[in-house]
Amino acid sequence: MAMRRAKGSLESEVLAALWAAEGPLTPGEVVEAIGGGLAYTTVQTILVRLHAKGAVAREQVGRAYSYTPVLDDAGLAADRMQALLDKGGDRVAVLRRFVGSLSPEDETALADLLARNRQDGRP
Amino acid sequence: MASYLPLLLSAVFAVAAPVSARRLPPHLATWLLSAGGLVAAAASSASLGLLALDALAQNPLLAARGQWSGAVLRQHAPFAVPIGVLATVAVGVLAARFLHTAGRRLAAMVDAHRLAAALPGAGNELSVLDSGDRQAFAVPGRPGRIAVTTGLLRSLDGAQRRALLAHERSHLRHGHHLHHTACQLAVAVNPLLRRLPAAVELATERWADEDAAAASSRDTVAGALTRAVTGNRLGTPAVVLAAAATGVLERIGALRRPAPRLAWWQLGVPAGLLLATAVAVAVAMRDTEQLFELAERGYLAGQR
Repeated sequence: MAMRRAKGSLESEVLAALWAAEGPLTPGEVVEAIGGGLAYTTVQTILVRLHAKGAVAREQVGRAYSYTPVLDDAGLAADRMQALLDKGGDRVAVLRRFVGSLSPEDETALADLLARNRQDGRP
Repeated sequence: MASYLPLLLSAVFAVAAPVSARRLPPHLATWLLSAGGLVAAAASSASLGLLALDALAQNPLLAARGQWSGAVLRQHAPFAVPIGVLATVAVGVLAARFLHTAGRRLAAMVDAHRLAAALPGAGNELSVLDSGDRQAFAVPGRPGRIAVTTGLLRSLDGAQRRALLAHERSHLRHGHHLHHTACQLAVAVNPLLRRLPAAVELATERWADEDAAAASSRDTVAGALTRAVTGNRLGTPAVVLAAAATGVLERIGALRRPAPRLAWWQLGVPAGLLLATAVAVAVAMRDTEQLFELAERGYLAGQR
């Protein structure tokens, strides 16, 4: 496949492969997952670019980096909050302190969201 | 007779064009339906407009203001009075329908641009939605975005994912939503063309399938399509699901065959129809002009 593909479409393809994977992928595994005969160095360049944009996160595994896709800002923040809650300790106490520190606008927004969730039958 | 011919020919086009579209290469089919639909709609509108003009101009007040003879018009008018009234009412109703559709489509376009900007993963062409459902869609905007659920991405292999992205990208690159808009506007002013929107939707899906096949292979696209429809969780209204499935079966069938080649008569017949329609409109306009010249002479004779 010597077909020329635009930069943006290559990024989409790599991103799609990362999202489709069960866990983090090394550049070599991404090449394999794409299955379209992209060169290793090309994939590596794209991964570095996606990382610079904040679309993927990476961690060092041996000599190579291994990449995972990143949720958008709101999703990321929610994930972090969830992780902190899950860390253990008194969940109710953490939530109480959190709610206590909210601005009146945030309080209203939160109350609205909870009310809407209850209406949808999702407590 | 020339006044009715464009209406008649647009009715023939309404039947012939979707039939031709199924056999044409999809990009030509799309253009035939959208551009051809607009021509047919413009012709039928012009024809109705002329009938309405003939009818309105017989009104004594207007005739006096325009300095032509209403009596001469009445005498030579190519139709009975009720038809003129009907045409006038139709022009009003169809104009309102046109405005309504144009407004609705414009609002939808604005919504799409907002959505394209608001989709997660800004700065990337691809926006991944975390959901088990198998969904993919293209959102026109600046730039346009492609949204795909994780459920669909995980059900496809590498080549199928590339085909999926190429398919959605084709929608954006060729502005398929504008072809849809053109057909909806055509139907608004000429309800006879009501089969065009569904036909153009199928044609643009086929167009995107062919582009996807060029980026991978016909079998890959067919496989990806099958995965995309079979894995959908229930919860989508049954009617929508059925409609989507019909189109998909036809698209998979087309992918199992070689890419369609252009047979000239398949484009020539509907194109000839459009040309005849345009000529009929020109003739009707000339007839009307002559009629008014006659009426003006009649008015001057009455003044003497």
